[in-house]
Formats: sequence, structure tokens, C-alpha cells
Amino acid sequence: MTPQSGPVLHAVDRGLLCCASFLVPQRQRAEWRLEWESELWHARRLNGPSCMASWRTERRMAGFCLGAFRDAACLRRLWWQDRKSIASPRGSATLCLVWLGSLLLASYLLSILLPGVRAAHDLSNEPARPGTISIQDEGAENSADPSMTIDQVRMWERSSQRYADGFAFYRVAQEAVESGSHAGGTWRVAQASSNLFTLAGWPLHYAIPRDKSRSDVARVVLSERVWREQFGANPKIAGTVLLVGSRPAQVVGIAPADAWKLPGNGDAWLLESDKEIDSHGRGYAVAHLTRSGRLELWGGLVQISSYDAQKSEHDFMGKSLDEQLPGPASIFWFGVLLAFLALPAIASVSLAEYNFSSHKPSWMRRAMRVGFLGAKIVLILAIAYFSSGDLAYWHSSVFSPPAVYIQWTASFAICLLGMRWALLDQRQRCPVCLRRVSNPAQVGSVSRMFLAWSGTELICTGGHALLHVPGLPTSWFSTQRWMYLDSSWDFLFAC
Amino acid sequence: MASAAKLSHTAAMILQAIDAGVVYGFGIMEMTGLPSGTVYPAMRRLERDKLICSRWERQSIAEAQQRPPRKYYKLTTAGAAALQASRTRYPLLERMIPPVEERSL
Repeated sequence: MTPQSGPVLHAVDRGLLCCASFLVPQRQRAEWRLEWESELWHARRLNGPSCMASWRTERRMAGFCLGAFRDAACLRRLWWQDRKSIASPRGSATLCLVWLGSLLLASYLLSILLPGVRAAHDLSNEPARPGTISIQDEGAENSADPSMTIDQVRMWERSSQRYADGFAFYRVAQEAVESGSHAGGTWRVAQASSNLFTLAGWPLHYAIPRDKSRSDVARVVLSERVWREQFGANPKIAGTVLLVGSRPAQVVGIAPADAWKLPGNGDAWLLESDKEIDSHGRGYAVAHLTRSGRLELWGGLVQISSYDAQKSEHDFMGKSLDEQLPGPASIFWFGVLLAFLALPAIASVSLAEYNFSSHKPSWMRRAMRVGFLGAKIVLILAIAYFSSGDLAYWHSSVFSPPAVYIQWTASFAICLLGMRWALLDQRQRCPVCLRRVSNPAQVGSVSRMFLAWSGTELICTGGHALLHVPGLPTSWFSTQRWMYLDSSWDFLFAC
Repeated sequence: MASAAKLSHTAAMILQAIDAGVVYGFGIMEMTGLPSGTVYPAMRRLERDKLICSRWERQSIAEAQQRPPRKYYKLTTAGAAALQASRTRYPLLERMIPPVEERSL
């Protein structure tokens, strides 16, 4: 062994100690390294000067330094055990997220279990088929009055059309409806073309396909409102046979007709072929425009001229049904937007990350802190979405004014108060362990504010930081500040 | 605190070494013949159980002797009691590690 190899090997030993020190908890690392380097110095001294070093001595020194890894691992294990014993779940970030997650789960389960709420989410997702129009006679005084005849629709269907590729007709009349187990009554029943819903692309909830429905009875579609009010939003209503007037009819689905502002406001649609629909009386016509027909739409309206067998001209007005009312998701996001705008009015949006020294937590800690705040906000938004839906739609139908107001108010209030809580809670979370600071202590008196300091001090039970909150904000101490605790405070937190 | 009856032979040897007047880690290694990977972790556990306590040597003393300061260990009252109980359990302990003064004689 050469004399020059001594310092090199000494550096290797120190490198081993340096590597082992990364296993030691950060708070104890500096002291641990000091002790081991001191021990190494003394060990080398006892084994002779570097220039006299032999391979045997160096092997002994390397063995000594390798023992540092076991020591460091032991310290890490002890630290972990201490941490587990200190880390009671009270006030921890995990507990906070568990609580929010539980609330979210509860509101989500409610939205699944309440058939009305589940239907509200499902029914409002499907837009109407583009190019669907409601046609009315231009001479009609009121656009809600029935003005079309089935003969007119039949004539259009027979002739080749350039601007429309399908027609449907319905006429609304009061009919007595009976059901064995449920309350019946007099409903507004629309006698409608069997292709009405497929033409417009309106989805039916709990739909029974045509090939699986009974062929010996008529098919009836209930409006969502009647389904809720008369049948208690029972999802098993599909397949039930009702007596509509004197005819039995099987329920083949639930229609969210309120969404598309259909004139006539029917409670149920009795689907029949055009031949079966009585020629007497007036009703409403629905058509689907071709690409050429859609080009003729102007402001959602289209003028239609038609000639009858006597070559006399009739004018009609088509009104687009594409425009859909805002559904639950749109109402919710509007509430969220307003809550974000209103938040600065009721809470400071600053996170008050100031501290007394230049010490800063590692970027990982800071990222975790920001991530925790983000997770809270996301969970609050999800809770607001589901719980506002639960409140609004468990009894009211989709798009009904009470449901819209309830959902908007609930989502706005939950988001606003929830985010205010999230910000206030965040300010009282230790920047190191994200635990809520506790044990508030009043320090000083307000009368001495200008000479000394007055306020409240809170401490992290993990022993990481002390939070100073001024009792009376001043120009030199306007907001809360953190003081990071060093290892000299450890005795306070020892088990 | 660990009960005296549960003290391992290694822990008892370390307590005996400290009681014998060897007050730093490398010295205990030399005295007991145990490797560093055994001695230091055992001392951490003894310190956690409050059977020994440590203190840093004053910087001025170390500087005067031109060496880095050392961390010294000593028995606590509980440590002394535990050692006394261990001596009953391991009768050869005192003979294996006699006090420093006796060794030097």
C-alpha cells in the first residue's frame, strides 16, 4: 500500500458515511454524521496515521463504516415507530380526505339509489337529433295551439321531399288512465306516430325494444313528470300494462319531453301507426330536416310552403327543437363559476405562506401541500355536484323550475362554503406534515400590540412548526407566519 | 422503557462498558469486541428507552486538543438499575468488562 492511497481510502470511508446518512431522518442527519465522522477520526487515529495504513487496517475501517448503514437503518426504523405512535389520525390530512371521500361516496350512492336522481343525470345527457323541427300553421294565433292535421302530414309523407326526411304527428286529448296498483286519473295523452321518438332521436329511459314489447297491446311512453308523480319514479314501471281510455297499453319507456319544449305538454304518448290515428281534430307535427332543409333554418325558424290537391298554397312555420334547456351539469357549472367569483368576498384567497426565517420546506412538501388543497377542492366540487342533484331531483323532474333553482342554489352554496372551508383549513395545516395545528395559546395583550406582540400561537403536534396569528393585523405583522422548529424542540414531543 | 429482564446480552454488555468508564461508541466497540453495526444501533435503542443518555463534548475542549468533539454516553438511573438486574442474569458480565481503572492496573 502506498502512502498516497491513505487519503483516498479515507475519502472512500467518508463517502460511505455520506451515503449512509441519507437513510437517517433529516432532522437527525447532521448530528448523526458529526458523531460518525468524529468516531471515524478517532478510530483512524487509534489505528495509526494514514501513511502507515495497511490493507488490514483499511478493511477494518471499511467494516466500521459499513456498520453505519445498520445504525442509520435503525434510526430510520425508530423514527418511523415514533412517528406512527405520534401520528394519531386526529387532524391529519388523510383523515380530512377520508371524511370528504365519505361525503362524496354518500352523495354518489344517494344519486344512484334514488331513481329520480339517476334518471335526471341520464335523461339530461342526450341532446335532440339536429334538424328536428316542430311545424305549425302560420295562421295559428298561438304557437302552443294545435294547428296541424294528420292528413297534411300523410300528404307530406306520401310525396317526395327535398327538405325533410321524416314526419311524425301527435294530438293531445284528455284520457282516463287506470293502473292496477298505482293511482290513475285523467291524463293528457298524446296519440302519436310510432316513429315520433326515433325521428327526433329522443332517448327513452328504461326503454323496452319493440321486438320485446307485447304486440297485442298498444305502446305508451310516459312523461318523466307523470312517472315521478304517479309512479314514484319506480324504475320497474316499464312493461306494466295501463288502461288508456278503453285500450290496454304497455309502458315502453320514460321520456324527458320537458327538455325539448314540445308543445302540447303531454303526460303520455300512445304510439300508433299513422293509419290508426283518427283524422278528426288538430294536433302537432314534427319533422326532421335534411341537410338542405337545415340550410334554410334562420334563427331556429324555417318557413314552409305546401300545396294541396287543389293547388292552393298553405304556409307553415317550422321551429327548431335543437335548442335544449340547460341540464344538471350546465346548472352546476354555472353555480361553481359564481361561487369562484363570490369567494373573495367572504374569505381571503391568500394561503398565508409567510414564515419568520428563510427556511423553506422542500419542493416535494410544497407540492404535497398544493396537491392536498387541489384534492380538497376537487372533492368538494364532486360532493356539490352529486348532493345538489340529490336535493334537486329526488322529487322534482328535470328542467322543472323548482329543480333548477334548488340545484343552482345548492351547488352555489356548497361550493362557496366548501371552498371557504378548504382555504381556512389549509392555512392551519402544518407545511411539513399537513396536520392541523392545535393547542392555541393567547400570547400578549392587545393593548401592547404596538410595543410588543399580541396574538394566538398554535403548534403542530408533530413538532414541525409554530403558527403565529396576529390578534390585530398591523402594517408590520398583517398576516399569520410560520416558525419552523429545529431539533432543540424535540424534547417537547418525545414519547 | 424496556424492562431489565428483557435486556439482551449485547445491551447488557454495552451498559456494563459504559458503567466501566468507556463513554463513546468506538471505545465500546473495542471493549466489547462487537462490530459497529451492532453497537451503535443498540445504543440508539438504549437511549430511546432512557437507559443511557448522551451529550456532546464542549467544542473548546476538542479544539484545544486539535480533534473533533465526541459524543459521550452515560448511564441514567434507570440504566444503572437495569444493569444491576442484568448482572444477576449474566454473572460473568463484570469479569468480561471490568472497570477501566482495573484494566489499566
